[in-house]
Amino acid sequence: MGSIRRLTTVLGASALVLGTLTVSVAATSVSASAASKFKACVVTDTGGINDKSFNASAYAGLKDAAKKDSKISYTYLSSTSSTDYAPNIAKFVTEGCGIIVTVGFLMDAATAAAANAHPSQKFAIVDDAPKVKAGTHVDALQYETDQGGFLGGILAAGASKKGTVATYGGQNFSAVTLYMNGFVGGVRYYDKTYGKKVKVLGWTPPKTACSLAACAGTGTFVGNFTDQTAGKSDTTTFFSEGADIVFPVAGSVGLGSVAAAKLAGAGHSIMWVDSNGCVSDAADCKYFIGTVAKGVEPSVEAAVLSAAQGTFKAGTYIGTLANNGTAVEYGGIKVSAKLKSEIAKAKAGIIAGTISVNPNSYPAVK
Amino acid sequence: MSDHDVSPRHAWWSRFTSSSPTVVTAYAFILGLVVGVVIIATTTPAVLDAWRGIFHGWDGLPHALNITFNNVGAAYRDMFTGSVVDPQGFWHSLTTGKGWPNTLTPLSETLTYATPLIIVSIGVGIAFQTGLFNIGANGQAVIGGIAGTAFGSMLHMPTIIHLPLTLLMGIAGGMLVGAVPGLLKAYTGAHEVIVTLMFNYVTYSVLLFMVLSTPFQQPGQANDIGRTLDPSAILAPLFGTTSGLRISYGIFVAAIVVVFAWWLLDRSSLGFDFRITGANPSAARASGINAKRVIVLAFLISGGLAGLAGVVQVASTTHYIDGGFLIGSAGIGFTAITVALLGRNRPMGIVWAALLFAALGVGGRNMQSLTGIPLDLATVIQSAIVLFVATPVLVKEIFKLRHVTTNSLQLATTGWGS
Repeated sequence: MGSIRRLTTVLGASALVLGTLTVSVAATSVSASAASKFKACVVTDTGGINDKSFNASAYAGLKDAAKKDSKISYTYLSSTSSTDYAPNIAKFVTEGCGIIVTVGFLMDAATAAAANAHPSQKFAIVDDAPKVKAGTHVDALQYETDQGGFLGGILAAGASKKGTVATYGGQNFSAVTLYMNGFVGGVRYYDKTYGKKVKVLGWTPPKTACSLAACAGTGTFVGNFTDQTAGKSDTTTFFSEGADIVFPVAGSVGLGSVAAAKLAGAGHSIMWVDSNGCVSDAADCKYFIGTVAKGVEPSVEAAVLSAAQGTFKAGTYIGTLANNGTAVEYGGIKVSAKLKSEIAKAKAGIIAGTISVNPNSYPAVK
Repeated sequence: MSDHDVSPRHAWWSRFTSSSPTVVTAYAFILGLVVGVVIIATTTPAVLDAWRGIFHGWDGLPHALNITFNNVGAAYRDMFTGSVVDPQGFWHSLTTGKGWPNTLTPLSETLTYATPLIIVSIGVGIAFQTGLFNIGANGQAVIGGIAGTAFGSMLHMPTIIHLPLTLLMGIAGGMLVGAVPGLLKAYTGAHEVIVTLMFNYVTYSVLLFMVLSTPFQQPGQANDIGRTLDPSAILAPLFGTTSGLRISYGIFVAAIVVVFAWWLLDRSSLGFDFRITGANPSAARASGINAKRVIVLAFLISGGLAGLAGVVQVASTTHYIDGGFLIGSAGIGFTAITVALLGRNRPMGIVWAALLFAALGVGGRNMQSLTGIPLDLATVIQSAIVLFVATPVLVKEIFKLRHVTTNSLQLATTGWGS
């Protein structure tokens, strides 16, 4: 018996030695592939590359760029908390990434610090404009989502049978509330222009006009971007208050709204946010009246391609209706041609500057 | 001849076949890595493709094995070089004297992540030793972080008093939150697991309120970001800000905590009371130990250390708090429970366990960026190790270890329902 047990242990020990050898052999064979390539790297926020929203879109932007230019390779690092931002960025700087894409305003400080320390390193940051020294290479990608939200508001107001629509957010900060503010603006514009009386719940615009930096009104907020149960109960409340279309601006919390719409039965639908609901959540397409999209994917793709081809420009990119940085996309519910043409008309007006997206420009329905 | 009867001649060898805690932990680590190998081999697309093609030619099988070994080897190699040291870089630095910051970055990162983890885990370990389950360490760390950051960012004074007071405010914040379950347990009998667990949610709401409301929110910021610590209230990088190494003076705070915990548990009469109460509450009561006092004090110390960990986390890394502070997989207060378990609630054991967890996390990032294998693998390995440590009988059976009488983990698991 004793010798058998000893044999087991010896086997275990030799397996370990073998393992170590494998490691050292692998060390030589793996690292030869990535030569003379342009490496695009994304540091995601805590959502990771599979969040079906923001981070996923940024990563998809990298993939798109790699499809168009074969010399681009791409990789990612996900962050588990704000403590990870700085080391993740630093790791990519030392790995020699051609461009480092960071996602979200929470990475503002970490991105600015890294850019100031490495002025020649190219960065693109989604949804934020960090203050950096002159001579640094940072492309700030921002999106005037109130323009897309405005068209979403027209779509919701025009499609509503019961004459009430609603919106709610994850948390009360401008990246979220800008959508809601535009949505309310769109509903009010529709009422004024076409003499309707559609009410909108869930958001009271601030007295001053909203900007990318500040949009501090009051409204309904879940308090996070993960609690689908809260999203479901908020949506059910809106339905019981007479709304038939709800616009959640809260990432995956919106899936709770979809569940509520299923429960409430025919005639209740959801306006999705960020990336087309009929693509990211295809199974529920028939519950989506449309999506207010943010053009993260094309803008990241453009930034990566420009960096790879040597045409990179530091500065600020503002996504608007004109450059498809924000848009309204139709979902699985049929929308009348008349409404579509009204939306197209408003879109042209916003691009031309003749229609204001500020909800304070139009009277509120009591 | 029985295996239990080992003659002195075999003493050096018997060390590896006895079931002492250290040996069981070491084998649990190996088993954890084996679980990792299985996961890499079964989830990496390149490996799966290679195995699908084993019948396509005479070299199909060797090719598949080669691909498997390459991927597994690359993953673990990147994990090691990303968390400890890259031998090539080390040799380069040693021979040329250049590139030391890059060579030392992995070690510095591991220590940076381990520092707050050590502090909070020791707090949890002290409560465990008293027979109390402090599941609320994360919430206590959150409040400690907020209290310390508020003090360190909104008041201004010279470093010599600002930094110590900032750390003390963190301890005070953690103690405040820790005192509630302690008092409720001591005077009403409310179970500490329920109370501490629920308090985590209360503290998250406090956090969200704080980072979004006027006095604490960063000026000029509409998002959920708090104020930044004054330079006089941060734990500065040990080698200066220009070195790029994040390892900070926080490691000395952790060292002080380790010494304090050792003194408390092994040298003070209070620590003796703690351990007696943890081992046998009835016997402790019979011998005249004031159970109420022990429970409240244990929770104050445990909460205070958690709060200190929270403020050390802020002061040594980001210097500000945001709405995601210690939430989700960043919740060091929850990791602390497993770290304390792995370290058998002993201060030095916890130091090693925290270093291992930090290294797996930091190395996992390097692995993710270089091989594309998700960082979650590191979490799986961590969990598997703890699972095997918590089931010593299984490890003993797998490796056919001899039985020796040791302190088992039962001490840590007696709190339930008591």
